[in-house]
Amino acid sequence: MKLDLDQLRELIRLLDESNLTEIEVEHDDDRIRVRRDPAPLVGAQATQSVATAGAASSEHPSDVPAPVDENGTYVTTPFVGTFYRAPSPDGEPFVEVGDSIVPGQVLCIVEAMKLMNEIEAEVAGTIVEILGDDGKPVEYGDRLFRIEIS
Amino acid sequence: MFEKILIANRGEIALRVIRSCRERGLRTVAVHSEIDADALHTRLADEAICIGPADPTRSYLHIPAIIAAAEITGADAVHPGYGFLSENPEFAETCAQCGLEFVGPLPDQMRQWGDKVTARALAKSLGLPTIEGTELLEDVEDAIKKAESLGFPVLLKASGGGGGRGMHILHSKEEVRAVFETARTESRAAFGNDALYFEKFIERPRHIEFQILGDKHGNIHVLGERECSIQRRHQKILEEAPSVALSDEMRSDMSATIRRAMSEVGYISAGTLEFLLDESGELTFLEMNPRIQVEHPVTELVMGIDLIGEQIRIADGQPLELPERPLSPRGHAIECRINAEDPDTFAPSPGMITEFHMAGGTGVRVDSGVFGGGRVPPHYDPLIAKLIVHAPTRVQAIAKMRRALSETIIGGIRTNIPLHRRILAHPAFEEGRFSTRFLDELQA
Repeated sequence: MKLDLDQLRELIRLLDESNLTEIEVEHDDDRIRVRRDPAPLVGAQATQSVATAGAASSEHPSDVPAPVDENGTYVTTPFVGTFYRAPSPDGEPFVEVGDSIVPGQVLCIVEAMKLMNEIEAEVAGTIVEILGDDGKPVEYGDRLFRIEIS
Repeated sequence: MFEKILIANRGEIALRVIRSCRERGLRTVAVHSEIDADALHTRLADEAICIGPADPTRSYLHIPAIIAAAEITGADAVHPGYGFLSENPEFAETCAQCGLEFVGPLPDQMRQWGDKVTARALAKSLGLPTIEGTELLEDVEDAIKKAESLGFPVLLKASGGGGGRGMHILHSKEEVRAVFETARTESRAAFGNDALYFEKFIERPRHIEFQILGDKHGNIHVLGERECSIQRRHQKILEEAPSVALSDEMRSDMSATIRRAMSEVGYISAGTLEFLLDESGELTFLEMNPRIQVEHPVTELVMGIDLIGEQIRIADGQPLELPERPLSPRGHAIECRINAEDPDTFAPSPGMITEFHMAGGTGVRVDSGVFGGGRVPPHYDPLIAKLIVHAPTRVQAIAKMRRALSETIIGGIRTNIPLHRRILAHPAFEEGRFSTRFLDELQA
């Protein structure tokens, strides 16, 4: 199935007309996959940090695609850093499993370069699962919370 | 000694640093973008941290993400490789503020040498023969005046430029008038800096560069030259050491001059001084690259030194082990840069590598960051491998490189291997008679 432009166009058209995010066609040893990034339903917004340290600002818009599967949607981290569930070591966690959340609500902190980056909810829903471990490192794109959208 | 080094880069140079670290018992941390999750540097380092999406401005160039990765892994030092943040003094400063040792020169040294006009003036004040050039150009009238006093033809260059981009050869004041404003706009767009200047245009120069190492105790080691005249669009694609165009006397005289000059400024880490060699045999300083370079392996082979390992020792504060007498090159080394690109048009050719077999055998070294079944992403440099050979003489090195290229099989993407074969088969190349115009003339 050498790459045939017409076939490729056809696949792209199919993808466009469907609500699928990915089409994969396999024939003998050849494989073509066409995919698009899902529209972000839930993202994580970085807001102003609280600490100073004079370090470079790490503000930038988040466009981490929110992974969606049959189990709900996920809030992922737009930063490499350390995940904190509470505003201070002995403070109450921002959220617990079962809590209802609203857009703009702070869910956790990811610390990078001594800057405390608050991660906010972008949708309303319920926290179903907390996937980050308090005080442990997270990489870019790691899933932090599973949310059931209300 | 450091225990853990973070490598702020990808591809073959990230692997190159991982190798020197592993041989020295140092642990390594790779950082990678999402698209590089399966890349070799990600897989071969002791730890790997995803720092952002494929777009390099949000991953490999994103300082807070790299520093945060060093913090969460407890790295002691950062090696920047080449490209990306390797010549960014703010990055070096941020590393220092965060308690990380930056494997490279001091931030002020990067600033001094990073601006080409300042670098030329500094080199001149240090007693290096420098190419004739102007101060920064104020406007088009000032440019015409300065071009006339320098004498046509002149080369219009961007002060913040690099990689051979943003240069124009101008023969008359009419051409200056026609090009000046466009060049200024281009420069602003490409380098974020619209400062332009002129250099004397040399018709058929060779590009010769000297490798240096400086430690934190004031020692400077000059490690001979590399011949880098084989360029496409002003970008090097084949390099060798030593250069057939330098006599032993020229080499040792220039080495002594460079040692004095760089001792005076207390240069730290690896650096390369680039020169043009004109047809009368005069070497003139062009610029200084304050970092490790792609073509460093040819120097490693003929000088018997691990330049990356030395950079790490220097950053750790250890003194250079200087030989009693200046080293002479042993044998001859050639490097071919294998790029994922069309060999004729140089258009990039990213995609899936279906087959990947690199040459082997005596005297053959391969530095590569890819593998069969892996992908060459379209977001980064097209360099996928460096094929390097070492032999007792230049004739034997050429024969070895031809043999090595004939063994190399890369499927699924286009590479510039056919171009390398044509270069190595050319009589002028074999005879060592060429200038930086060689490839233009070969392709014409």
